[in-house]
Amino acid sequence: MREIVGRYGTALAGLALIVFFIAFAPNFATPGNIVNVLKDTSFLAILAIGFALAFTVAELDLSVAEVASLAAVVCGWLAQKQYHPALAVAAALAVGLVFGAANGFGVTRLKVPSLIMTLGAAAIAKGAAFMITQGVAFVGRWPAGFTGLARGTTLGVPNLVLWLAAVTAFAYVLVKWTRTGAHMVATGEADEAARLSGVDVGRMKRLGLLLAGVMASIAAFLLAANLSSAAPNMAGDYLLYAIAAVLLGMTMFEPGKPNIGGTVFAALVLKVLGNGLVLLGAPYYAQDIVLGAIIIGSVAFSASAMKKAAFKV
Amino acid sequence: MTDPILSLRGIGKSYGAVLAVREVDLDVFPGETVAILGDNGAGKSSLIKMISGAEAPSAGEMRVRGERVRFSSPHDALARGVATIYQDLALAPRLSIAQNVFMGSELTRPSPLPFLRLLDKKKMAEESRRYLEQLAIRIDDMSRPVDRLSGGQRQAVAISRALRWNADIIIMDEPTAALGVKETALVLDLARRLKASGRTILLISHNMRDVVALADRVVVMGAGAKIADRPAAGLSADDLSHMIMNGAAPTAPDSPRPSTGPG
Repeated sequence: MREIVGRYGTALAGLALIVFFIAFAPNFATPGNIVNVLKDTSFLAILAIGFALAFTVAELDLSVAEVASLAAVVCGWLAQKQYHPALAVAAALAVGLVFGAANGFGVTRLKVPSLIMTLGAAAIAKGAAFMITQGVAFVGRWPAGFTGLARGTTLGVPNLVLWLAAVTAFAYVLVKWTRTGAHMVATGEADEAARLSGVDVGRMKRLGLLLAGVMASIAAFLLAANLSSAAPNMAGDYLLYAIAAVLLGMTMFEPGKPNIGGTVFAALVLKVLGNGLVLLGAPYYAQDIVLGAIIIGSVAFSASAMKKAAFKV
Repeated sequence: MTDPILSLRGIGKSYGAVLAVREVDLDVFPGETVAILGDNGAGKSSLIKMISGAEAPSAGEMRVRGERVRFSSPHDALARGVATIYQDLALAPRLSIAQNVFMGSELTRPSPLPFLRLLDKKKMAEESRRYLEQLAIRIDDMSRPVDRLSGGQRQAVAISRALRWNADIIIMDEPTAALGVKETALVLDLARRLKASGRTILLISHNMRDVVALADRVVVMGAGAKIADRPAAGLSADDLSHMIMNGAAPTAPDSPRPSTGPG
């Protein structure tokens, strides 16, 4: 029984929350609103999966949101100039790869703790995004091939939801079912034991941080494509949400461990909560207060299992 | 006479100007259990670190099964069949038994996608259970996290990992430190089973009763050098303590109390 509460307690609470809003929040359960919540969830969940992959190798990536903003601005600039969508997407991915690789290099080679390394990277990405845009947003008529990446549907399913499904499946299979994933988990759980068993711990840390950068890029071009605009601060608010999703996710399914299923479900719960609060007429700042409480509460209430060690600098 | 499975010649280790180990020669024969003793600072842990691959020797040569080796990491040593069961166990406490046994050498199977191989969790669980059964440890659930096992059971998991690597030279570093009476008995039993299976054991222990119980031969280190190397038969725990403190068995000519020696 305790096992079930530990594993599924917060997931069930999340489910109850969704049921509550369906029952009591006006217009929550309309098709339009549900699609909006799912779309919103997909940006957040993809970014949070990146954070979770870095966290799996026991590194924090605080740069995911600013890197996403920079990647969005870079691909938005190309889209606005009517370049081929593939080029815009490739440019966004390049930004994530460069920052992810740099974070990995800084953490494993220069031995800068990831908290510091990625905070610095976040500031650099933010500055670069403002430099490219000169502080204004890229807006305009963008190629339909680009905006369709996020706005279109395939066989009736919104493309964004398909992107989320693909990224989730990739990350889940990687972590749970591949040897590389097993090495990432071993690295995050006990790096010394992993090293002694022949796991290339540095490589796994670099991989986790690289994937966090790639996920930030994917979230970025989808965000830009969905809005047909790119602003230098467009993803900044996602950092706290992504952290909250990963930490809340760590209270579910595999308590105390960053896990993909928990991360995605927690992202949905957070977005439902935000949306439901607005529909119930709560002031906009209520979301931030709730978010902060969730971040602290997630860690506090699973203190025994939670990897507090990952937070020490 | 059989060839030594492990052979050291003139092995030395210096840290800057400090000579931790000087010119140690040591031959260990297949199936032998050799206890390496010495007070703190006598050089035994530096010696063991070189054999386990944690540190490179600054002088001398090392051979495993007659082949000259230079280990650059414990993993190198493991690949040559030299496994170390560490005092702090080097396990990932929150991961399962099977994950720990197969850490770094996971089994995979083909998937429907040609480029993708998936973990063979079922086979890893089965084989983990088999390794543990070889050590007479029965645990029903191979997915149980290691931090829910007793100290002795954890040793068994660490030893299973060594078996997984087909290690035939097993270094046990203070295997019974921090264990209760019952768990100590369990670990001694594990070591006996390893010995019975023909594996070579290097035992480092502060507990002289463990040494008396297990060792075929004792090597005593003092001030970085090997100061005694003799069969363990007939030696008591007191004799061993005496050797560590005085550098020789009580039967040696300069011994102050020859009468207690086994002769």
